[in-house]
Amino acid sequence: MRLFSRLKFRTKLNLGISAILISMATLLLPLVGNMTAKILLEESRKRGTALVESLSARAVDPLLARDFLRLKNMVVEQVAVGDMLYAFVQDNHGFVLAHTFEGGFPVDLLRANEVPDLATVHIQLLADGMTRIYDFASAVTVGDERLGTVRLGLSKTRINASVNRQITTMAGLFAGALLLATIMGSLFASRVAARLGVLREHAEAMLMGNLDTQSNPADGSHCWEIRNCDLSSCPAFGERRRRCWYIAGTMCPDCKDGKELAVSRESCQMCKVYQQAAGDELQDLAETFDVMALSLKTHIDELRGADRNLREQQRLMRTILDVTPDRVSLVDTRMRYQGGNRSFAESVGLKLHQIVGRTDFDIFDEQTAEARHMAAREILQSGERLDTQVVVAEETGERWFHVVCIPVHDEDGRITGLLRTDRDITDIKGYEKQLIQAQKMESLGLMAGGVAHEINTPLGIILGYAQLLQEDVPSGSQVHQDLGVIEKQAKVCKKIVADLLGFSRQTHSSKREMCFNNSVMEAVTLVRHTFELDHVDIVTQLDDRFPIIYGDPEKLKQVWINLLTNARDAMSGGGVIVIRTRLDTPRGIVSLWVADCGEGIAEDVIKKIFDPFYSTKPVGRGTGLGLSVSFGIIEDHDGEIQAQSPLPEVFDFPWPQGRRSGPGTVFEVNLPLDHGKDEPVKADGPDAEQVGQDI
Amino acid sequence: MTRAAKGLSAFVLMAVMLMLPGCGDSEPAVEVDLTRRERLVAPQRQKTITYAYLPQYSRTVSFQRHRALLEYLRVTTGLPLHQVFPDTFDEHVKMVQRGEIDISYSNPFIYIQLAEIGSTAFAKIVEPGGTPAFSGQIICRSDNPTIKSIADCRGKRLIAVDPGSAGGFLFPLGLFYDHGIRLEDFSEVEFAQGKQEKVILAVLAGAYDIGTIRKGSLDVVAGMIDLSDIRVLAETRNYPGWVYSARDGFDPAAVGAIAEAMFSLDPAIPEHREILGVAGMSGIIPAHDADYGPIRELADKVGR
Repeated sequence: MRLFSRLKFRTKLNLGISAILISMATLLLPLVGNMTAKILLEESRKRGTALVESLSARAVDPLLARDFLRLKNMVVEQVAVGDMLYAFVQDNHGFVLAHTFEGGFPVDLLRANEVPDLATVHIQLLADGMTRIYDFASAVTVGDERLGTVRLGLSKTRINASVNRQITTMAGLFAGALLLATIMGSLFASRVAARLGVLREHAEAMLMGNLDTQSNPADGSHCWEIRNCDLSSCPAFGERRRRCWYIAGTMCPDCKDGKELAVSRESCQMCKVYQQAAGDELQDLAETFDVMALSLKTHIDELRGADRNLREQQRLMRTILDVTPDRVSLVDTRMRYQGGNRSFAESVGLKLHQIVGRTDFDIFDEQTAEARHMAAREILQSGERLDTQVVVAEETGERWFHVVCIPVHDEDGRITGLLRTDRDITDIKGYEKQLIQAQKMESLGLMAGGVAHEINTPLGIILGYAQLLQEDVPSGSQVHQDLGVIEKQAKVCKKIVADLLGFSRQTHSSKREMCFNNSVMEAVTLVRHTFELDHVDIVTQLDDRFPIIYGDPEKLKQVWINLLTNARDAMSGGGVIVIRTRLDTPRGIVSLWVADCGEGIAEDVIKKIFDPFYSTKPVGRGTGLGLSVSFGIIEDHDGEIQAQSPLPEVFDFPWPQGRRSGPGTVFEVNLPLDHGKDEPVKADGPDAEQVGQDI
Repeated sequence: MTRAAKGLSAFVLMAVMLMLPGCGDSEPAVEVDLTRRERLVAPQRQKTITYAYLPQYSRTVSFQRHRALLEYLRVTTGLPLHQVFPDTFDEHVKMVQRGEIDISYSNPFIYIQLAEIGSTAFAKIVEPGGTPAFSGQIICRSDNPTIKSIADCRGKRLIAVDPGSAGGFLFPLGLFYDHGIRLEDFSEVEFAQGKQEKVILAVLAGAYDIGTIRKGSLDVVAGMIDLSDIRVLAETRNYPGWVYSARDGFDPAAVGAIAEAMFSLDPAIPEHREILGVAGMSGIIPAHDADYGPIRELADKVGR
């Protein structure tokens, strides 16, 4: 049996067909042979009987007429064809009147077969050596008068030969049928085996991961061809790989919905496409195979898509977690870390994968771990979130963190872990301090403005009276000199009061279209002579295109003078100041640089230079309000001002020949060309206008 | 032995078994030797008195009709009577002329021909109707609408028994002559070589419009056809019936013995009645040549 099971399908089929035919031949041939032999013998006996009776009837007339010629012709005619060996006619005395023998009559035949008077025909089997003969004898009678006897000899040997030929023919037919069945079976088996082979190859290909196989032939009629359908948006339109009934959710108006179509075989069997394109079981198997491959491929594609999506989500989540500076961590109810982001891992000095499974006591010092552990335990017990700020001492100094720790619930509402976020708010804390300081400064400015406003009037009176008194006293007298000192110091005070008013934005702006270069040149002209006395040269590099801006010329000039004055003060031994303007039309700004070659500004100082009352100058040399006032004016013009020290090489500063004093400083002012919706700032009250008038 | 060899051996054995049924022969047979042959010589026949029935019917009918009468005559007279069968009326006459027929049983018209060559009538039969005379009939199909009378036979197709037939041709021909119809007035005339049955069947088949037969012939074919399909159009007058004659030169003593035996047949005797009935007669009575004058007159009328 094992050998049989290992045989090829085609061989098994051929063996089966051969076994069936051989069995049939074995069973049927002897049976059919015997039946055929009996039938042939019986037919031969009937035929001989009919012939002898016919001859007997026809022999009456010639016997009566004693027409020997006719008798002779009659017997000769009997043996002329077929297997009749002899024929002869006897009269009622037994004498042979006519016979077909040559060279005498075989006398043994005379008594070999006799027909009784009452019988019509008698058949007797004769044996002559190898030959066997059926001898038919028939009485020739008229009425009840017997005229003679007719005898015929039919060769049984020939009958047997005919039987044998018949059986041999049947055996040949069986052999031919066997051969034909074997050939046809082989062809059929080859066809079936080939189709099974395709299925097997495709199964192997599927195991190897290739799901783009097609077991069912692509040729044949298809849904849209049979229905003559032009619904190109239907999924079945143009689909040559599969029959349409396997394409669920087709848009065919005659079809039911795809879900029902897939489960209802009745609807398929009523479908004209199914009826025309349906095949045998192998085709059904192949189509089922194709559908299985398609379903598997679709399922795998969906899984791969879901996997890609999941990976993408993981990557996105990891990116979000890793990019955020917050320290994010997740612990389970056993206080073991389930994960964290890169910031958290770096904060504890571990890799990401090293965090999982550890506890606070594994990665923090005991005090910190105890604090985190207790906080977490309390949250697990209470289920309430923790939202607090803590300060942590680190190597770089103290850092503030905003800690949010919230419980994580599952679908049943049970707490499964804690998500903790530690956000570094150190900078915010700094800004908070700065904001407090700014608020203080704003209050101070308001107070200073109020004070200056109140002082401005008596100062003006003092200055006026001092000047009036000077006219009343002789020039050069001590009193005159004293009054001059009073006048001078009063003016100094008035300048301070004016700066305080400017710092507190108590003055109004008078903006209009103005030439930027003219504003700069007015300031330069105003201070150039004085600076030259201090050995400071001013080099102007103004843009020839004379940019026009919308601004307050006086206030901007005040800014330029402040910047120039600061530059001069930075060069105690003299030097060069470069004032440069450039129009940047694409950006819509005009820029001004004031650069000096002085001692420069330290990095920690440069952050504070725009703060009010901050000054590096010695007492009595500056109030610390110049740059802050300038900052306010530029900001009022929607511009920006910044300082950079030392001078960048790209500035191309014309250093004085033979020496290169300090690192230098450059102030850069950018003002917009387009004033937009900006409207001139009106003074808040009559005091401002009064101050302006006073100045 | 390999698997293939086993399979081949089984196939050959099966083929041999398949051939066996055709070779078996258990039926008993009589042993003969066909090689032992002899040339057979016919035994010389004894001199017999030949008896012939004018062939108006087939030989078988003729044999059957007169077989019993001949047997009776052989037994009664002790003479070796033997029936012979001429093929035609002319052959019958010629055989009488050649001396091959000693006792001739013929119609009266043939008899006047035989008389011309020396035959002598010595007996005549009594018809089944009881008279020693008989007549002829003109027949047609019952459904033939064109033939209502003898006059309608003009131009029709005619079939008769034989030119020498008395009741089957000459008696009706005389009737046609009496109605002014000559032989040439028929569109076609055919003869059935002495066979009454052939005339009846030819008319029934429609091959001929009219036929002439001996009266009583329809009874012969009663079992073969439906007699209602045949209509007897006309019937001739009675003429002298069939006659026994002895050829010229035949032994008168034998004639006398035969005639006496014939006259001895008594219809009252069942055996004799059966013999006579089979022969189509009800008795045999003496006859003389003068009895056949009307026949000779008829022959003259129709030119025979």
